[in-house]
Amino acid sequence: MKKILAMMLVLVLAFTGCSSKTVDTDTKKDTAAENTTKTEVKSEEPAPPEGITYADKQIFNSVYAGEITTLNYLVSSSTNELGLFANFVDTLVDYDKYGVIIPGLASEWSSDESGLVWTFKIREGVKWYTSDGDEYGDVTANDFVDALKYTFNPDNGSKTANIAYKVIKNGEAYYNGEVTDFSKVGVKAIDKYTLEYTLEKAVPYFESMLSYASFFPINGDFLNEVGDTFGTSNDTILYSGAYIMETFEPQNRRVLVKNENYWDADKVYIEKLKYKYNKEASTIGPELFLRGDITQVNIPSGAIDAWMQDDKKKDMVRPAIASYYTYFYALNFDPNYDEAYNPEEWRIAVNNQNFRKSLFHGLNRIAALTTGEPYNPENKLGNTITPKNFVNAGGLDYTQMGSLKKFADTDSFDSKLALEYKEKAIKELEAEGVEFPVSVVIPYSTGSTENANRAQVVQQQLTTLLGDEYIEVFTLPYPASGFTSNTRRNGNYGLELVNWGPDYADPETYSEPFATLYPESDERAGTSRYKYNFPESTTQVDENGNNIFDVYVSMVNEAKAETIDLQKRYELFAEAEAYIIDQAWIIPYRLGGGGYVASKLNPFESQYSPFGVASLRYKGQHVLEEPMSSKQYFEEQAKWQAEREEVFNKMK
Amino acid sequence: MASLYLQKKGGKMSKYVIKRFFRSIFTLIAVITVVFLLMRMMPEEGYFGETGTDKLDESQKEAILTNLGLRDPMHIQLLHFYSDLAKGDLGDSLIYRPNVSITKIIKQKAPYSIAIGLSSLGFALILGLSMGVVMAKEKNKLADKMGTFYVVIIRAVPPIVYYLFIQLYLTQIFKLPLLFDIDEPSSWILPTFAMALGNIAGYAMWMRRYMVDELNKDYLRLARAKGLSERKIMVSHVARNALVPMVQYLPASILFTIGGSIYIESLFSIPGMGGLLVDAIQLQDNNLVQALVLMFSVVGILGLFLGDVLMAMLDPRIKLHSSGGGR
Repeated sequence: MKKILAMMLVLVLAFTGCSSKTVDTDTKKDTAAENTTKTEVKSEEPAPPEGITYADKQIFNSVYAGEITTLNYLVSSSTNELGLFANFVDTLVDYDKYGVIIPGLASEWSSDESGLVWTFKIREGVKWYTSDGDEYGDVTANDFVDALKYTFNPDNGSKTANIAYKVIKNGEAYYNGEVTDFSKVGVKAIDKYTLEYTLEKAVPYFESMLSYASFFPINGDFLNEVGDTFGTSNDTILYSGAYIMETFEPQNRRVLVKNENYWDADKVYIEKLKYKYNKEASTIGPELFLRGDITQVNIPSGAIDAWMQDDKKKDMVRPAIASYYTYFYALNFDPNYDEAYNPEEWRIAVNNQNFRKSLFHGLNRIAALTTGEPYNPENKLGNTITPKNFVNAGGLDYTQMGSLKKFADTDSFDSKLALEYKEKAIKELEAEGVEFPVSVVIPYSTGSTENANRAQVVQQQLTTLLGDEYIEVFTLPYPASGFTSNTRRNGNYGLELVNWGPDYADPETYSEPFATLYPESDERAGTSRYKYNFPESTTQVDENGNNIFDVYVSMVNEAKAETIDLQKRYELFAEAEAYIIDQAWIIPYRLGGGGYVASKLNPFESQYSPFGVASLRYKGQHVLEEPMSSKQYFEEQAKWQAEREEVFNKMK
Repeated sequence: MASLYLQKKGGKMSKYVIKRFFRSIFTLIAVITVVFLLMRMMPEEGYFGETGTDKLDESQKEAILTNLGLRDPMHIQLLHFYSDLAKGDLGDSLIYRPNVSITKIIKQKAPYSIAIGLSSLGFALILGLSMGVVMAKEKNKLADKMGTFYVVIIRAVPPIVYYLFIQLYLTQIFKLPLLFDIDEPSSWILPTFAMALGNIAGYAMWMRRYMVDELNKDYLRLARAKGLSERKIMVSHVARNALVPMVQYLPASILFTIGGSIYIESLFSIPGMGGLLVDAIQLQDNNLVQALVLMFSVVGILGLFLGDVLMAMLDPRIKLHSSGGGR
């Protein structure tokens, strides 16, 4: 008895300690629209690209390891779950395959001159359907009001409420109980098919937010009918999108069927999507693909070599499309680690621009990337914080604007420059009493061997280049569970690889980890809200005697204040971003997502958006007869990029 | 004499059962309370996920924790838990499948684990015990050596390795489905077989060991002297006596099939209970963790209890007094 009891407790403790909190949250994002009025344009069904054939049977089969916990699309923020919701419920606005905003459930819309009041004409004749495919009712303007009422009620625990309540008038006050009358919240159904949002402040990215789950509609009558059970099964939600979930057996299978009555059904080509659960999907998925049982599978990094070197398999593999998550090495301005590693020495060193630049130019990012991507590391490289193709204005990609262009187009690694900055740093820091070598603390998560390999490569490469008399690199392993809290959020690092995902389609979102402080009302006022590299702690001043953090924040504020001229706004943000890259607060590293897949889907048929759920939709996609090869992928990518530029140039 | 013995034993037996019952209840309360407290010592960020910890506002985090009941004082939370439990209410899942009753989740999953587990157990018992008998009988001969080789291999190689081997290769050789499908009976074969392999080795080893023990005992000389056939000696005496110590573990083995097998169910996509507790702990679904720990504790304690009682009933040598009855 005692034995069993002890064993169970040990097991519980062991599981608790080993629990992995890896959450895949990569999301794709959009391009902001420049028009204030949009109306619908019908497009024709595209022919398959040359060399590609569509399969006769348009059935998508897949195996998955991560089960969803809920179908309540107004609560969840998990990309895994949003990937399904996007196919069940349509949004007011949508995106085409080039990232251009197009009408969705709203057939047209406009904003007033101040940009505060937005009016949407809801598409008439769109219906809600049950999981059996029976018509339930019309999609009306009121559905969007009911949805926000639900989302803004803290009792419902919505994880996406903040995205909406930060822009909708009185949204946050209602959530916090300061306003109790919902009619004061900035959402109104003017009539059955006219919806009006009033914003707290004009934001140029409001349209892009409308394709996110926070702005999904809900049928109020149905919600009252099902109560707390909303979203607990496939028959406790309604469907207004391209697919209906016919079967949902958690940890067993899901079946999605085309909604034949869907308002835009002629653009839905895949008839059925069948998902089979398997916790070891990453292990057996490739074998299932080879046997022809599934349509798409991720190839784990450990198996890439075997696929690439096999004549039969190598043409079945292609790169997976990158996400808008951005990864960068952050240099910590407020070190909070063990005295054994001399945090105070680092604090002085990191406030020296030449020291930071020696690391910035000294880090061979390709060498580090090769540990996870041995075949095309350059493909994954990110030279800016905001990724390429995220937003554009005036036909120009954001990363090509102003001072940001030179960083976007060059590799930061330059050993000659690194050594020059090293010499300057030594002179200046010795004068400040710093004893060399300076300890560089690099924590890494033991969650994957790739992390350990990368940390070792960075350690050896930096030490070899810059010399062990200059820096001593310590790579410190931490368990995957609670890794970020134990390192980045605690300031327990010197140099750490961190990431950030956007919350709306505007470069402002990428300034948040650095520029956002707790407000005056909070007891933590003046400290970093997102706890990345705490640049507010910097003591460095520029040639005019201004603290460099204050300079950066004023640049960001100036950009934020520009809400009318989108091109100017982006240019201002590009300058601010270029400033912190030039100051080497961070070292841009890579794009999110990626890796390799074997897939019978053409990713360039998919809807494209830098933010929101549009890119998670299967609408517009076909199942191909054969898996797409890397060659075909790169050809299609080049074609898509050229077409996209043309589309945006025409919109100028 | 015999009836007096049984009467005496019967009296001791009921006392023993009552004592064991109360001790079991106490153990259950202790386990549940400790797990309850341990779950509440988990970091709060676990309830928000990696992204949520960064991006959710403080007010959202507070709302989530309040909705999970975690903002009540600890003793109130514990009181709520026990009062619900007393009403037979295991509650709803909080994160694993929010607002879905835990009873419903278990009801959906347990039958799969029980079906696969029991068929594998039956298969393993028949094959393992027969193998043990043959090995004991053929001690140190080819059959015994081959059996020992099998036992050593199964014990030495991590199960995940031969499970994967079975899944990838045997499905090809025998043209069986790679993944479990409720509507496809042939998809049951390999998971059942794979799950039985370890138990076959276990039962064979035990059976061989106890039989060899028995074979060295004096009463066999008497049996032989009486002129009993070797076959009768083996079946009626040796095998029967050797089975007694194993009976003790049978109830627990049967009951534990409810828990399912993490590996087998994961590999073959069986929607059973395997791994449910691990998932619940990782997601910090407190209600589900508590319910599952309660269930597994009941099963474990009941299994041992039944095993002990069964043994006491079957084996007259077992004494039911304070120093000998419990473990």
